[in-house]
Amino acid sequence: MIVPIGPMHPGLKEPLRLKLHTRGEKVLSAEIDYGYVFRGIEKIMEGKTWQKSVYLSERVCGICSYVHTMTFVETFEKIAGDEAPIRAQYLRIIANELDRIQSHLLANSTYFNSMEHETLFMYMLSARELIMDAIELLAGNRVHMAWNVVGGVRLDARETHLKSIMDILDKFEVQYNRYPDMFEHGPLLGLRSREVGRMTEEQSIKARAVGPIARASSIKHDWRSYHPTYKDHFDFNVIWRDEGDNFARTMNRFDEITESVKIIRQAIENLPEGDVRKKIDIPAGYADWRNEAPRGEVAYMIETNGNLIKNISIRTPSIMNIDACAKYMLKDVATVADAVSTYASVDPCVACTERVVIVDEDGKSREFDMQNVKVIK
Amino acid sequence: MLEALKGIIRKSSIHACLINTGGCNGCDIEIVALLSPRYDLEQYGIYFHNNPREADVILITGPVAEQWKENLQRIYAKAPEPKIVVTIGACPLSGHVYDQEGSAIYPPVREFIPVDAEVPGCPPRPSEILQALLAVGPDAIAAKGRQSK
Repeated sequence: MIVPIGPMHPGLKEPLRLKLHTRGEKVLSAEIDYGYVFRGIEKIMEGKTWQKSVYLSERVCGICSYVHTMTFVETFEKIAGDEAPIRAQYLRIIANELDRIQSHLLANSTYFNSMEHETLFMYMLSARELIMDAIELLAGNRVHMAWNVVGGVRLDARETHLKSIMDILDKFEVQYNRYPDMFEHGPLLGLRSREVGRMTEEQSIKARAVGPIARASSIKHDWRSYHPTYKDHFDFNVIWRDEGDNFARTMNRFDEITESVKIIRQAIENLPEGDVRKKIDIPAGYADWRNEAPRGEVAYMIETNGNLIKNISIRTPSIMNIDACAKYMLKDVATVADAVSTYASVDPCVACTERVVIVDEDGKSREFDMQNVKVIK
Repeated sequence: MLEALKGIIRKSSIHACLINTGGCNGCDIEIVALLSPRYDLEQYGIYFHNNPREADVILITGPVAEQWKENLQRIYAKAPEPKIVVTIGACPLSGHVYDQEGSAIYPPVREFIPVDAEVPGCPPRPSEILQALLAVGPDAIAAKGRQSK
């Protein structure tokens, strides 16, 4: 029997159709349909200056909006062969890590909600509000920060605000440190998440999974360890686990939050003095650049003719992770309820996904463009 | 008598349903933030259950993408009377930043289904969404219920 879930469904935050092939309660395999959130952002960006496109790149995705603008402006800085002042780079990292913390908390809260564990769901959201306060102090807005420009950040952070962010982090850690323990040792939570939705290392390489999903399947790869600012100025560990199940993915996110708090503390303590913005002239050229978003690697490929964007392509992490989920994790799952929680554990972000080049296992690629969307209908 | 009773009950128990018609998620996560202990939506008797068949309030975010042109009307038809529609964010109002040449969106939402209230902002703060829901929700549902008889 085929159980369709979505595009409108209590278990999903975003529109997406999940078809589960079932026998009794057992889920044999799954298919996924996209195409409900296509807006054509890349097409709108073509022929515009970066000033007119940076806010569009921010609205590719609302949850990880910061890393999109960060990657966008860093690509332009790479085209110019220049980089932002060091203080701006530090401020970018503070904002990026705050964004990562709130995104991971939201992802874990969705996972606990899909398991009907309301206590941890509420704890996660309550801890997240503290981080949202910190983001608001830093950038002046809760979701779309509109803080990055080519050549730095728009506004400097005040000393008092940075101090309040440190206070918020202290408060956050006191609250937060109990939760990973609760999840790790909770017997019922363990039953629902250990050995459910397992993906092996070979499978995650085949599916090209990225981010915490790949790192939970023993792939030790975090693009932050190659990013110039992170690599040269910060001391942090790449978190990875080898179980490859829902438990590992959720614990991986929990541990990454602890690392992010560490990075923010380092950044605020060692924040260098200086300008936060400088003028950068952009020549004609092409560059690609990537960054570690909360969900994995996000890559921007931009071609400019000096002033205007000629061509832009955005590769977001969720597409690989959702496909990995459909192909390898949702195979022989014991119950439909487990299938929904497995899907939530992948931290799917559909708004990110809908502008992609899909690469098959044998390396064939096809564009997912506007025409295709019209055919699907 | 029965109608008055129904009105009272409708005021204090509202089921809401969220439809993302192609937005960036920003408004959706601000609505999820409403569930958090800080804002605590459920203390006002509003319960989020993303099922249009039992919804009193339909929340809409996003600038109607291609696939939603027909599906939006279908979902609206599935919700039982009396129902009210609240759009959240700038996208359902005008298309916001996506409303430019080359995009694949069809705003505004009110061209597809009747809309009772619109909350502008990108995204609006959770407190604004809550204020709009409370201002328009309970009384409008009760009033619509009386009208339909």
